[in-house]
Amino acid sequence: MRIVIAEDAAVIRAGLVEILADRGHEVVAAVGDAESLLAAVAGHQPDVAIVDVRMPPDHTDDGLRAAITLRRDYPNVGILVFSQYVETRYAADLLRMSPGGVGYLLKDRVADVAEFTDAISRIAAGGTALDPEVVSGLLNASRHVSALAALTAREHDVLALMAEGRSNGAIAGRIAVSERAVEKHISNIFSKLGLPPSDADHRRVLAVLSYLGT
Amino acid sequence: MRHIATAGGRSAAIVNDNLIMTGPAASPLRRVVQAPFTRRAWAEVGYALATFPLALAAVAFMAVTFVNTFPFAASTPGVRKLGAAARFLARGLLGEDVPAPPLVQPRPRVRVKTPDAGGLAKIAESAGGRVRQWAFHYGSGITVSNLPPAQIAQLAAKADIAIHDMRPGSRVAIWVNTMIRDDKPAMRARVYFLLKLPLAVAGVTVAVSGWLGGLFFLTFPAWWTLASRNLLGVVNLPASFTLLPLGAALLLAGPWLLHGVTEADLRLVWGLLGPSSPAERIRALEETRARAVDDSAARLRSIERDLHDGTQAQLVALAMKLGLAREKLEDAAPVDLARVTQLVGDAHRSAVEAIADLRTLARGIHPAVLDNGLADALATLAARSPVPVEVITDIGERPSAAIETIAYYSAAELLTNVAKHSGARHATLEAVHVPGLLRVRVTDDGKGGAYAAPHGGLRGLAERVRTVDGRLEISSPRGGPTVVTVELPSHA
Repeated sequence: MRIVIAEDAAVIRAGLVEILADRGHEVVAAVGDAESLLAAVAGHQPDVAIVDVRMPPDHTDDGLRAAITLRRDYPNVGILVFSQYVETRYAADLLRMSPGGVGYLLKDRVADVAEFTDAISRIAAGGTALDPEVVSGLLNASRHVSALAALTAREHDVLALMAEGRSNGAIAGRIAVSERAVEKHISNIFSKLGLPPSDADHRRVLAVLSYLGT
Repeated sequence: MRHIATAGGRSAAIVNDNLIMTGPAASPLRRVVQAPFTRRAWAEVGYALATFPLALAAVAFMAVTFVNTFPFAASTPGVRKLGAAARFLARGLLGEDVPAPPLVQPRPRVRVKTPDAGGLAKIAESAGGRVRQWAFHYGSGITVSNLPPAQIAQLAAKADIAIHDMRPGSRVAIWVNTMIRDDKPAMRARVYFLLKLPLAVAGVTVAVSGWLGGLFFLTFPAWWTLASRNLLGVVNLPASFTLLPLGAALLLAGPWLLHGVTEADLRLVWGLLGPSSPAERIRALEETRARAVDDSAARLRSIERDLHDGTQAQLVALAMKLGLAREKLEDAAPVDLARVTQLVGDAHRSAVEAIADLRTLARGIHPAVLDNGLADALATLAARSPVPVEVITDIGERPSAAIETIAYYSAAELLTNVAKHSGARHATLEAVHVPGLLRVRVTDDGKGGAYAAPHGGLRGLAERVRTVDGRLEISSPRGGPTVVTVELPSHA
């Protein structure tokens, strides 16, 4: 996989390069600010861009704004927003544009290398990878509070895991039930939220995310 | 009487033995006879003699600068210095510790171009702005001082008044307004010196005629003899003795008269050279509070930034390295020991750096060395300085914790400046605490020329000192020496 990294902290940038190289990925550019990120993506057309939120020049949400620009101009480039904190508003903006090929992870998650590289592969394949904290932020900020309140606790868990971008099998492993039980929960969730039924994992996730983001 | 001398010849005295004239213990007759010889009486003579030339100089200075607006505005800092000199004499000689009036901050001034100048003027005035309307061939508008531009824009938008252009008012106008209209303490100081001049003349007259005249007439026969028996038309020796009672009377009455003059003067000093009306005081306090709030918010932001960019990033990198190392160890394939060793080594280095960063950051939030008092903390600070620093401290009672912290950071910043910019070979750090006032002073023998540049360390320090109503004074002529003094109230 060809990857562009935009991260202003040199130690983290070097660490990411090391991990990705270790997994046999090709880091085609590693930059430290939002403008160089736009130039690097335009020049290299990578599979995935890993984007820090707070970067020069403004040190506020430069990375997220650049990510939204990239989403618009290069919809085929997967975006992993990589941050030390959760910014639900921009996350929702980013997901609304098209949740396929988008991820938002807290930097802590990189400690689990396998899961982190998994997430990148998922994004490159057009899937999603959302941090549980981002999901709970989206759930809390969602305007569909009453509909969400109708879910049972177990259904709530399943919804959160689904929003993170996990497959049925992964969800079943997480909450220690059978895949069939997961499917049943999911169809309950869909009918309670009034979403059209759908079989494909991917399309389901998109439905859930656009539901949460609006 | 405790006397504490500090560098630069300034001194602070606490006078405890000036109560004889009003003390209830002595009998009335003894008090009358003793009056000329109390320390207070002598202090009042000294005060009369010292303030007379000051009053003359001040009035002359004011007369020269009164010609028109610009010299008058330019004289404001000078008048404030003269006022400070008068307060200094009152404190040093008579123990009257009159606090300095607050410094006046320039008010924002904005030139707004709008077709509805009249309408906007009314709104801005009712919001507390000072407004002047103007109209030229290129358009009309208003000049507003005392309101921030954002608020004017907001008011205009609310009233649906179009604003075509908005730019900062002329710096000269801001300066003149600050120096003349807003600097009420300087204006009161001018009034003080005008009233002080007749008092100063009276004081000197009483002091000279009371003491010198009294002594002269008390010893008149001797002078008469010395002056070849021809003085003031006195014809013989017995007649010359008749002037002795006059001498005694002058000597006894002088101190009481002078005391009256001095008391009147001190009333003026308190009323006109101190921090004036409650309203002005409240405004100064409001500004101080606003600065304190801004300052603490900015400090929190910078701490957050340091944590985010430093420690947090290092810990993330550390977690990455350890995560990778763990995977290598868990791998079914034979472990690449060299690779894992390198990863763990990197992680270890990251951890050590994070610890060092955290220590620096913690010291920036609150220096632990302050726990043993400011004197110890300053000694530690001086020991770390690359330029040799002599430390002189006289801190009896501890100031409040906030003041100690600001004093410590002031000293740290000033010593850093000495090491970085002054080229000095030697520096002195003094910290003296007298009741109500902590003074920190750093003196160096470097090349001088230090000033509070915008966004510079000294400017930031001055801002921080002002948040607790303190002040910072820089004296740094080209060629040196540089003396920076920070004065802080003991409790804030």
